[in-house]
Amino acid sequence: MTASFKPGARVEQEPAEPLGSRSIEAYLESDAPSRASRFPEFQAELRAIRDGGGCGAASEFARRAITPKLDLTSLRSLLKFRAPDRSQDRALRLAVLGGPTTAPLVPCMQAFLWAERMEAEIYEGAYGLFRQELLTAGSGLDRFGPELIFLATDRRDLANPPVDAGPRQMEEFARAEVAGWTGLWERARERWNATVIQNTFADTGYPVFGHLAHRIASSPEAYSAVVNRMLYEAAGPHVVFHDLRLLVHEAGARQWFDPRFYVEAKLPCAPECMVPYGYSVASLVRALRGRSKKVLTLDLDNTLWGGVIGDAGVDGIEMGEGSGLGESFLALQRYAKALYDRGVVLAVCSKNDASQARAPFEKRPDMALRLDQISCFLANWEDKPTNLRRIAEALGLGLDSFVFVDDNPAERALVRRTLPEVAVPDLPEDPAEYVPTIASYRYFETVSFTQEDAMRSQYYKHNAALRSLAAGARDLNGFLDSLEMVARVEPVTSANRLRVTQLLNKTNQFNLTTRRYTETEIQRIAESRDWSTCTISLRDRLGDHGLISILLFEEKDGELEIDTWLMSCRVLQRGVEDFALGEAVRIARERGCRALVGRYLPTARNEMVREHYGRLGFECTGQTDGATTWRMDLAGRESSFPSFRIRKEEPL
Amino acid sequence: MTDIRARLQQVFREVFDDPELEFRDDLDANSVEGWDSLGHIHLIVATERAFGIRLTTSEIARLKQNGETAGTLVRLIERRASAGAAKG
Repeated sequence: MTASFKPGARVEQEPAEPLGSRSIEAYLESDAPSRASRFPEFQAELRAIRDGGGCGAASEFARRAITPKLDLTSLRSLLKFRAPDRSQDRALRLAVLGGPTTAPLVPCMQAFLWAERMEAEIYEGAYGLFRQELLTAGSGLDRFGPELIFLATDRRDLANPPVDAGPRQMEEFARAEVAGWTGLWERARERWNATVIQNTFADTGYPVFGHLAHRIASSPEAYSAVVNRMLYEAAGPHVVFHDLRLLVHEAGARQWFDPRFYVEAKLPCAPECMVPYGYSVASLVRALRGRSKKVLTLDLDNTLWGGVIGDAGVDGIEMGEGSGLGESFLALQRYAKALYDRGVVLAVCSKNDASQARAPFEKRPDMALRLDQISCFLANWEDKPTNLRRIAEALGLGLDSFVFVDDNPAERALVRRTLPEVAVPDLPEDPAEYVPTIASYRYFETVSFTQEDAMRSQYYKHNAALRSLAAGARDLNGFLDSLEMVARVEPVTSANRLRVTQLLNKTNQFNLTTRRYTETEIQRIAESRDWSTCTISLRDRLGDHGLISILLFEEKDGELEIDTWLMSCRVLQRGVEDFALGEAVRIARERGCRALVGRYLPTARNEMVREHYGRLGFECTGQTDGATTWRMDLAGRESSFPSFRIRKEEPL
Repeated sequence: MTDIRARLQQVFREVFDDPELEFRDDLDANSVEGWDSLGHIHLIVATERAFGIRLTTSEIARLKQNGETAGTLVRLIERRASAGAAKG
């Protein structure tokens, strides 16, 4: 499992120019276990850089050093180097309301949001006063005006039913409890239009009924189980659950709960557990902001199977039932397959001969992963950063949505150094620990799941195939024609609203204004007389891409303003933009508007559409701080647009 | 300076974010900036981690009381070290 196992371990390319001193880069490149002993030295260097006037550089190094594997003390130390980052999107207004004491939790959340470049202004509610904060007009929370509220409650915030309660009394008790919580959620939505992250209730105690607890309806354990289930059923789209039970389960109750700090300071868990707790909540915020990872890139030799395929051959690699090691590799394959079924895109990045690398997939029936589940398969002798860039290009996805899994520490170091935006988990030496380790990073958290997610990997696979076709095709238009693209155009409806909301909140690159809306807001927009909505779904002879573009328009003074225009990057460069413009013009004409008005609002991630309106023939009419306004007069234009390479499907 | 005090100095520097802090037995909540109730939790956590020990609730509470100093912490650690030596 070590570097010396494979020929590809040699790092031949000279790495990119390191920004900091050697020891800082060496620290950032290494895995967490070996970092711990070097932390004091690293910290001293950061101080020297900061005190020498390099606040920004020190902040950036500290940010990159943040991982959920740090201890609480070191994490706090790194957070002290944080300098405000003005290049980022507008800060999220996040409120954290306990239940129990939240003081050590908030800096942990802040650190992990910072690590992900998600600027957040955090309001911390007073201890135990979450109801008052939410329900009192003019409270600190009310003055803050949150967009997102984390209800950091725990089991002690639930009442306990009397142990002799009968079934009817129990039901009333639970119903009243649930009404109390849903009332708080409603309040958050009505007053600030805020999304709520609600902790589930994890049992803190040791059940007096022991193994019998869940058969006794009035036991505290049975009661919290019922309340959790009812809350899940009652929650609308503006409520997201943070499953605290999962964290307790992963850590083990004896480790998670530390009664000393509960009795002394009302901490909900051991102080050290605040690190995974904060990370876990931050990973949900990441998902809400559409920044979860999308691609799992896997190495082959000693990652997906044991041994080197080039040496051992198809039958010599260790993989499959029958040996502990073989089952460990199989476990990772099954985990990857399960992620694939959930919509995570799989890619292979391996230093190998291409045909040898494919052989186990083709010749070993006991492989859990199949070639057609891998959207992009790259096996050659070039360095991994170069190949990762190629995979990103082929898939049309940003490197910051990539997770790179490789057993070789030298490869991990090179990727961390060259492509710091790629997430590189510290893979342990023992393959049996691969899955729990990768899972512990919560890379692929999501706040909803639709049929389209399940099919996403296939879209990307088609896409990668198309790009290689296009590269070979001399005539792009001929190529596009050969795709036989068909678009279905629909307004926002109750049937596609969830998918629309999801796409609105996760599309970062091809997104002109990056305005985020909740499902409720989208419903209002769809029903408003001043607004028009347009969604485009695309299919071609290779597959169905589903809903890939959204346009929202608001009529203002006889002109139609394009409030939102976004498109999934997987259908870039296919003429969808021109097709969408045709639809925009049609809608504007139907409303009797004399012009279309578009805006570009720059973010850290939407550079690719800076010139979008210019390319489509709009005239630039204004510019402030990088934001631009564009106008297309419809009066002088021809009544119809040239025929597109995309056929519009007529509604039935 | 004894080994325990040298390591405690590291802990104090780290927890209270002061690389210049000099450890003395008479340090207390009044003389160390940041040694409030939250700082106290962080101090306990970092100390337990650095020395591989677990303090009791009453010890944690006592260290917070008026008039208690860092010297108390030194003695608690010493007591555990000698208990460990006796056992070992």
